[in-house]
Amino acid sequence: MAYIIKRVINSLVILLITISFVFIAGRLIGDPALNMLGSGASDVALENLRRAAGLNDPIFVQYLRYIGGLLTGDFGVSYRYGFSVLPSEDLAEIGQPVLDIVLERLPATFALAGAALALAVPLGIFMGVTAAANPRSIADRVVTILSLAGVSVVQFWLGLMLIVLFAVQLGWFPTGGYGGWNYVVLPALTLAARPIGRIAQVTRSAVIQELSRPYIVTARAKGVPEIKVVYVHALKNASIPIVTMIGDELSALLTGAILVEKVFAWPGVGLLIIDSLSRSDLPLIQASIAVVAGLVVLVNLLVDLSYRVLNPRIRLSQNEG
Amino acid sequence: MFNQKKVQLLSGVALCAVVAMGAPTFADTPEGTLVIAINQEPQDLGAQGAYKEINATGLRNVVETLMAVDPVSGDLIPVLAATWERVDGSTMRFTIREGVTFHDGSTLDAEAVATSINWVWSAENAFTIQEYAGPGEITAVAIDAMIVEVTSSEPDPLLEFRMTLGGISSAEQLATTPERHFDTPIGTGPYIFDEWQRGQYWTADVNPEWWGLTADDAYGTTTPDYAELQFVFRSEDAARVAMVQSGEAQIAMFPSSSECDRAADDDDYSCVTGPSTTYLYGRLDHSLHADPILQDARVREAVFLSLDIEGLVGLVGLASVPQGQLGTNEAIGFNDSLSPYAYDPERAMALLAEAEADGVDISALNIEVVGRDSTPRISTIVQAMGAMMQGTGIGNEVRVQTPQEFNPRVRIAGYANEPDRQMMQVHVKQNPSGDYGLLLLSNYACPNIDDPTGPSRSSVYCDEAFDAELSVAMGLYGDDRDAAMQELVQYVHDRHLIVPLALLDRGYLVEDGVEFTFGTDHRLQAVYIDAN
Repeated sequence: MAYIIKRVINSLVILLITISFVFIAGRLIGDPALNMLGSGASDVALENLRRAAGLNDPIFVQYLRYIGGLLTGDFGVSYRYGFSVLPSEDLAEIGQPVLDIVLERLPATFALAGAALALAVPLGIFMGVTAAANPRSIADRVVTILSLAGVSVVQFWLGLMLIVLFAVQLGWFPTGGYGGWNYVVLPALTLAARPIGRIAQVTRSAVIQELSRPYIVTARAKGVPEIKVVYVHALKNASIPIVTMIGDELSALLTGAILVEKVFAWPGVGLLIIDSLSRSDLPLIQASIAVVAGLVVLVNLLVDLSYRVLNPRIRLSQNEG
Repeated sequence: MFNQKKVQLLSGVALCAVVAMGAPTFADTPEGTLVIAINQEPQDLGAQGAYKEINATGLRNVVETLMAVDPVSGDLIPVLAATWERVDGSTMRFTIREGVTFHDGSTLDAEAVATSINWVWSAENAFTIQEYAGPGEITAVAIDAMIVEVTSSEPDPLLEFRMTLGGISSAEQLATTPERHFDTPIGTGPYIFDEWQRGQYWTADVNPEWWGLTADDAYGTTTPDYAELQFVFRSEDAARVAMVQSGEAQIAMFPSSSECDRAADDDDYSCVTGPSTTYLYGRLDHSLHADPILQDARVREAVFLSLDIEGLVGLVGLASVPQGQLGTNEAIGFNDSLSPYAYDPERAMALLAEAEADGVDISALNIEVVGRDSTPRISTIVQAMGAMMQGTGIGNEVRVQTPQEFNPRVRIAGYANEPDRQMMQVHVKQNPSGDYGLLLLSNYACPNIDDPTGPSRSSVYCDEAFDAELSVAMGLYGDDRDAAMQELVQYVHDRHLIVPLALLDRGYLVEDGVEFTFGTDHRLQAVYIDAN
């Protein structure tokens, strides 16, 4: 229990540092109102925005108000989402709560990350196990090359290539956008390339190690079918590094979605962050990054905790410690 | 050189024919969806956004203006104003078109127009359209049921142009649900706003009761051909292009020059390009603090004649040869009699020899050709310019500088610190005002060292006679202004002060069979998009 509490506190501290950094950076790079509205903005527009967003207060007052708001679920209000410029004071209250905007986009990001993960885990494990079961074979070499390519490829380039091949040339899938299942295939494939490669590499290495252990020799001597030896005995015992890798990759999927969403115009949080950055919508940038950072921290925490379930030795050593 | 197909501007005859025939109903029943892949999602769809297409692409299909700039002729044409007149230097009077209703059923009258103008140009609202505001604050008042007077608090020669910018939207919406004004535009246009899916697209349906279907003077080259418009947001150039190539869209906005190049080889789509209001130019040091050699008219002319402008345009990419002046043919003051500076190395060498014979030390000529590194392909461009000058015996040094290094050098405060300079600054500028006034003031009027941020801070020219003429011209409006500005444009052209190098184009990838007409403001209006 103490371990769990310690990990939760660590996670919250990391989250607080991230959120604070984004908040402070947004104010250190210049006048937030001027950054948001641009150098062409009139004095009236700038003052309207400063007044409505409380930007005239000292920075520590703004910070305390911001952190206090986060604790009560109030992430602030966007005066740029839906407006080219904040209109007169009478309409100041029509600024939109940024958390609502982010939450509205979150399902699309979850759908994309989920589809990529659903593609990456079975495919990566299958490739890794196939390579491990046939070391130095053609299959092993093909998997090694493909996994290396998956890890190394630039997502932006891969996305465009997939569009050219599968959307323009073959016409199998749309070039981008959001809709039925066919819309998710190309972005999910693009996003999955790296985790497929990494999971395949780790699986191969872990399974090869397990296959050399005495219990595998015993199982084979007992006449256990090879497929069961590999997929049940070896894979099960190799699962800890694989799960760790999947956890890492899940975090990477959430952050990697930013670029992929841009290429495929997938209306998730990633695209929202890019749009917010281009419009210098500070409250929306802060909220988007806070939510994504919160999810990444949460996933890492869950992965950490899952080790205890998967490997009792970790639980014991922690208890002893 | 690019082998792209140039924009197909419809002839005046065809335009007149369409207008003369009239159109009591749709010529052909609109059908299908026109999908246009655009490069960014609008910030909002408020009526003020109609002033600049890039801010709210497609909005003018829904929200109309009092008057507009014809994309072919550059003339002002009526839209919601049937007629207009100048009352004085600061006031215009508009007679509003009869029988027009907004998409919410409310009537377009003088009160509604005045409300909309006051909203859009309100100093309190301070919308981004203020970047196009004139010297005074613009207000409107209804003086009759269908007559509205628009006044600037200061005399404003460009009030006509400003009235082509702001959209006129439902006054009823502003009174009852002002918050919807920004995401649910209600105008009078040929299309009725349908929905806006954030991060994806916005759509509009054809308006079967659009006034333009029965008016003799409706704008556009066609009645609406499409039943629905869909503006899809794709920030990646390649993704927009892929939409046209895969048949998902009929038009992709602003493809890269390489995509345009490739389109020339494909029968299924073409690249349609046209000039924008952005131009690349070279400004040669002249009267203030410049080396006396450059004050010899023959030397300056020789420098200009040494430059192969057509070749430089090819290097720039999507661009066309400017007509010997900074600006497009839509601008007030555009002088149609001017031609691009000719490429004539032999004449250049003869001029230099003539100057040398008269005692000018040509061997001391060493022009510093400097580009600002924020300008696309600038390194190649200045290298080419240097080589061209060298080819005619004009000594030069080529340099590319960061804006931090470059900008102070091209403003009066920094320029004054470099006596006897021989610099040709190469960079891009924009003139979206539709008028030569500010352009002439900022580029050719005497700069004032005591006013280092003044409008002419970047000028390196000083000619009191020119300044006096310009001062008079700036106070004129209408045809008088146009004529006076044209004379001044001719005057500076003949003195070889600034060489316009390229008028930067913008392009569209267009599916075969779609005819698309646009002006330098690059508006995507369905009544100018013909489905063959």
